[in-house]
Amino acid sequence: MALSAQVVSALAAIVGETGIVVSPEGRMTYECDMHTFYKGAPDVVVLPTSAEQVEAIVGVCRAHRVPIVPRGSGTGLIGGAMAPAGGVMVSMTRMNAILEIDLASRCATVQPGLINLWLTRAVAGRGWFFAPDPSSQMVSSIGGNVSTNAGGPHCLKYGITTNHVLGLEIVTGRGERLRLGGKAPDPPGYDLVGTAVGAEGTFGLVTAVTVRLLHAPEAVKTVLAAFRSVVEASQTVSAIIAAGMIPAALEMLDAAMIGAINAGTGAGYPADAGAVLLIELDGPRAEVEAQGVRAAALCREHGALSVSVARDEAERALLWKGRKEAAGAVGRLTAAYLLQDAVVPRSKLPDIMREMAAIGERQGLLIANVFHAGDGNLHPIICYDDRDPAQLARAKEANESLLRACIALGGSVTGEHGVGVDKAKNLPLQYGEADLNFMYRLRGVFDPRGLMNPGKLLPSHPACGEGFRPARPVLPEGAWV
Amino acid sequence: MDPALLDRLRASVGVAHVLTGVDLSPYVVEGRTPKAAVFPGSLEEVAAVVRHAGAAGAPILPWGGGTGAGVGAPTARTGIVLGLSRLRRLVEHEPGDLTATVEAGMTIEGLQTALRARGQWLSLDPPDAGRATVGGVLATNASGPRRHLYGTARDLLIGVTVVTADGSVVRGGGKVVKNVAGYDLPKLFIGSYGTLGVILDATFKLRPVADEERLVAVAFERVQDAGAAVRAVMASDLIPSALDLLDGPASAALALGGTPTLVVGFDGLAEQIEWQLAELAGLVKPLGGGEVTALPAGTWPRLACAARDAFDAPAAVMVLSVLPTRVADTMARGAAAARARGLPSAWAAHAGVGTMTAALVAEPEPGGVGATLTEWRALAREGGGHATLLWAPLAMKSQVPVWDDPGPAGRLMQRIKAQLDPGNVFNPGRFVAGI
Repeated sequence: MALSAQVVSALAAIVGETGIVVSPEGRMTYECDMHTFYKGAPDVVVLPTSAEQVEAIVGVCRAHRVPIVPRGSGTGLIGGAMAPAGGVMVSMTRMNAILEIDLASRCATVQPGLINLWLTRAVAGRGWFFAPDPSSQMVSSIGGNVSTNAGGPHCLKYGITTNHVLGLEIVTGRGERLRLGGKAPDPPGYDLVGTAVGAEGTFGLVTAVTVRLLHAPEAVKTVLAAFRSVVEASQTVSAIIAAGMIPAALEMLDAAMIGAINAGTGAGYPADAGAVLLIELDGPRAEVEAQGVRAAALCREHGALSVSVARDEAERALLWKGRKEAAGAVGRLTAAYLLQDAVVPRSKLPDIMREMAAIGERQGLLIANVFHAGDGNLHPIICYDDRDPAQLARAKEANESLLRACIALGGSVTGEHGVGVDKAKNLPLQYGEADLNFMYRLRGVFDPRGLMNPGKLLPSHPACGEGFRPARPVLPEGAWV
Repeated sequence: MDPALLDRLRASVGVAHVLTGVDLSPYVVEGRTPKAAVFPGSLEEVAAVVRHAGAAGAPILPWGGGTGAGVGAPTARTGIVLGLSRLRRLVEHEPGDLTATVEAGMTIEGLQTALRARGQWLSLDPPDAGRATVGGVLATNASGPRRHLYGTARDLLIGVTVVTADGSVVRGGGKVVKNVAGYDLPKLFIGSYGTLGVILDATFKLRPVADEERLVAVAFERVQDAGAAVRAVMASDLIPSALDLLDGPASAALALGGTPTLVVGFDGLAEQIEWQLAELAGLVKPLGGGEVTALPAGTWPRLACAARDAFDAPAAVMVLSVLPTRVADTMARGAAAARARGLPSAWAAHAGVGTMTAALVAEPEPGGVGATLTEWRALAREGGGHATLLWAPLAMKSQVPVWDDPGPAGRLMQRIKAQLDPGNVFNPGRFVAGI
């Protein structure tokens, strides 16, 4: 779909000539997010600098019934920030200001394009931090974190993005700019903030976010334990939780990942281990010390080959560096891979790890694992050779089998990455027709014309806002490489 | 009462589970008697009741333990009470998962007892836990002092099953602690006051029971000094589980000496609690605080209702939300506003969070209640927040609106209600913005 010259000039009048991208090569930069399977360039990209401009953009798009696709830093993993039906992409990268820091009220208000880590950097000197820490936090935007309800290693203790959002300003698909929630607790009426976080841009465009800031803990202790097998490490995870500890983070790597990370960053993980558990405890010093001893003892009781404690901040940073760069380190294992984000109840970790090994064996593919073991959120990395179409088909099959196995164990198809176009077809595995119908009706409240990020989050996009029609997501030709 | 509807309800849930006539006295709210009270015994029966009532145009009033039944504006029409008391099982508790699924009619106390037997708990401590049910607590977003550290229902609820207006059973969320598949429906139902559907069951994140828990009090002469102590604790390395502030009358209600009192809770390992207690003593002393005194565990459940319980017959109870830094100031000025009209009041705050409950008595001066409540609401707004008239006689509710103005977002809320409950079946007129 090509946009009329009238629409393009109306948009250019709003954002100025430097705030609009119309050239094919310029738009190509925006054709996908980090899930590069799904490609769809928008007809035009606009980069507003204010909420007023966003409101005006939505007004133009509504008047001409043009789809709108929001985009933060483009680090999503679900094909959420690409334009399957063309239209106008609204990139928030120029709206990246910190509007207010109010430490007395323990919160900050920021524009959606602000990089996650920049907020923590702005307040760290005064002893505060923003808790949601997706592995992409060096580059991902807070608006994107809000839209996908992003998680991260430390959400085991601190909760995911939604637990840290106090207020939002959004421009809905109806074109109204509204403030939802705010600094004071328990705002009157429905929890529209909680409902809108994780809506993946289908309710509207986020133009400001008020987030909770936390006081940095007095002490942090990072423990690393190596095990012979993933199953033993999984049993240790259950034992730590059952012993009454909620570590700030509880991360696991399997042998394939250990090798890949060691080859890259020199994180110094034990090379002969079948699994590594990274346990981070934080809080008052007395508690952290006592829990560190308890956790280390539990690791040994469950057959740990070695248990080490980071002695200083530099060692701690090194242990984490490897974990945070895991997705990149996979490049050493394989040319191409599918990254999964499924969840099982944490007591089912040993079951799903056995099942995963069987699936990998059945398809003849390596499945590497790095994941948030503490909350049962898996990130299997299904490796394949992209020069071989048969391998890709097997990788997709393994992917589907894994999702079905997780659902059969009582889990979810996505723990923190979101749905986007990638998982839309999988939602019926997890939810029934009535559940999805309800979600469609909710979407219709915010976006009756179906203009906001069409094709994302739900299995199909009903034109009239009514009814659930299972269908594959609308994808451009050649979307599957 | 339409006899045909009554027959259908009896056929759906059994004659023994449909109350009419004088049996309805426990369900009279603000002098208004419902048409009937029905008690379905299964998910299917709830759905059948909703369908029958909806088809007959009879409003449905979901009912848990009745502890919050008087909260809100009076419903526009009398309806049918849908009681959840027969749906009160603990469906699933897997300690290794730190999650539990429970039916809506189970009381909070019943749930906590079952969970504690296996070393875990739901970190939510609303008032009246012996009668308040899981469904009711979710629908009213009730909370207690431990919300300071552990948050509210929105931080704990990971899955919910609801019967919606068309009688369909909708499941939102799931059983796992991380799940971003689809919209976060559990959030929509928390605090919705039964206006969008009937909550049938809920799945929660749990916490392990701490090794130890302590509650301590520090007396002050002036509420402003206690407020300064709250800010000092918030800026320190302490991690209290509760940080409450009581004014003189509320402190007297808990037999704590009758002067402004800071009440602080801690949980965790014994050694870290001892360290925190010592730090607390050092923090409060220069601010005019007295000794740090241990309180019995029995004080915990009384904290959330300290203001309400300060008087035998309060004329009104209001909940105010402000920025945490404005709590002590709001309390002092609110009490002064009542006193200026000759009215005693009592105030209890979850001070670190910014919520407070204030109760007002009308003896000996009957007038001035409405003007005081209106001034309190203005104070809440000045403090960056809002106020809800939690309890008052019907006549007062017509003078002072129950709910604060949600602003332009109220239109969005009205559209949500219209879209999801087009027949206006659930609790019509009870909630914000006429919903």
